[in-house]
Amino acid sequence: MPLHERDISYFLDTTLTYLNRVTDNQIVPRDPTIEFQALVFSAYTGLIHLKGEAEGFVYVTASQSFLQIFSTARHSYRVMADETCRDALNDITTDLARNARQHFGPGFHASEPHIFSTVPDDPIEMPPAVFVQPLSWHDELAYFVIGLTPSNTNDPSFSLIL
Amino acid sequence: MTGSDIYKRTAVYERDAATLRLYPQEWKLLLAFDGQRTLEETARSSETSPADALRHAEKFLQNGWIEEQPITLDQYLKRTGTTERTSTVPLASVSHPPQPEPALQTPTASATPPTPPSDKPKERVLRLGAVIDHLLSLADSRSLGYFLAYRVFLRVPLELLQAEEIASVHLAGEAGLARGEKLQQAIAQAVQAIARQPLPESAFASA
Repeated sequence: MPLHERDISYFLDTTLTYLNRVTDNQIVPRDPTIEFQALVFSAYTGLIHLKGEAEGFVYVTASQSFLQIFSTARHSYRVMADETCRDALNDITTDLARNARQHFGPGFHASEPHIFSTVPDDPIEMPPAVFVQPLSWHDELAYFVIGLTPSNTNDPSFSLIL
Repeated sequence: MTGSDIYKRTAVYERDAATLRLYPQEWKLLLAFDGQRTLEETARSSETSPADALRHAEKFLQNGWIEEQPITLDQYLKRTGTTERTSTVPLASVSHPPQPEPALQTPTASATPPTPPSDKPKERVLRLGAVIDHLLSLADSRSLGYFLAYRVFLRVPLELLQAEEIASVHLAGEAGLARGEKLQQAIAQAVQAIARQPLPESAFASA
């Protein structure tokens, strides 16, 4: 089934809500882009596959520095380890998946987050276009990325929210 | 929109000014509109290139931050009395739907016999930034406008984008062009299908 822009926006909104809760509303969304040829991956990535009423994927990818200050704000961690970065992204994307499941209902399936560093372990099929939203905090960048199959977005009259 | 048009800032701008987020060059241009000078003069005074001035001004116009300032007969005659207006050409090269561009660009042309129609259709390009601005204007919020644009571009055949080496589209300040007729048609059809609004003629520019 197709997704209205309000539905697509939900994924970003719920991600921002989580990040802003931890950062005391200091996340600054930069100008987004639509990418046709390549995916953007930073040091660490948490990815969720979407099935059912939304087909594709959504992920958050962030630099180590971003995750470092994020973890410090969250848990006052001082020592930064690979595992800490993964934990931070796992929490971000687990929250995203849980909220999306609740929001969209039983016809929608979000996978458990797949956390990886640098590049994905398994190939990701590139949809015709992905939406990339840079998120800035303390001069460090994270990216919210969503890629949907075209059939999910064709009918403008349909909205899961309506 | 032509380089000889005069614009002024609007009440909408006054209302929104405190919350607007623009690049410094955009602010410079926006604040230079005084309802007295032409777009060409405003661009020059704000040290903005004609192409950028046109692009920014169309964005301001679509957002309702500026509006065209009506002029007196004296001002009109003064402006049209000069036939050599070559310096306005760069700004006048993009059409705008409410008023046919050639009539505004060279008003004296109405006194000359009409030229016979050319066999060759006029080539034009589609400004991707204008497409995005149009979609943003249709959405309830800027954020939703971004996703509306995403839905539109998901519908555009990838091979047509690749053929013109369009690897990405910036949803703010995009300066790219769609040159091929097939890609232009595909984008226009996608806008119509998703937004249920036709693409405005102002999104096109002379090649």
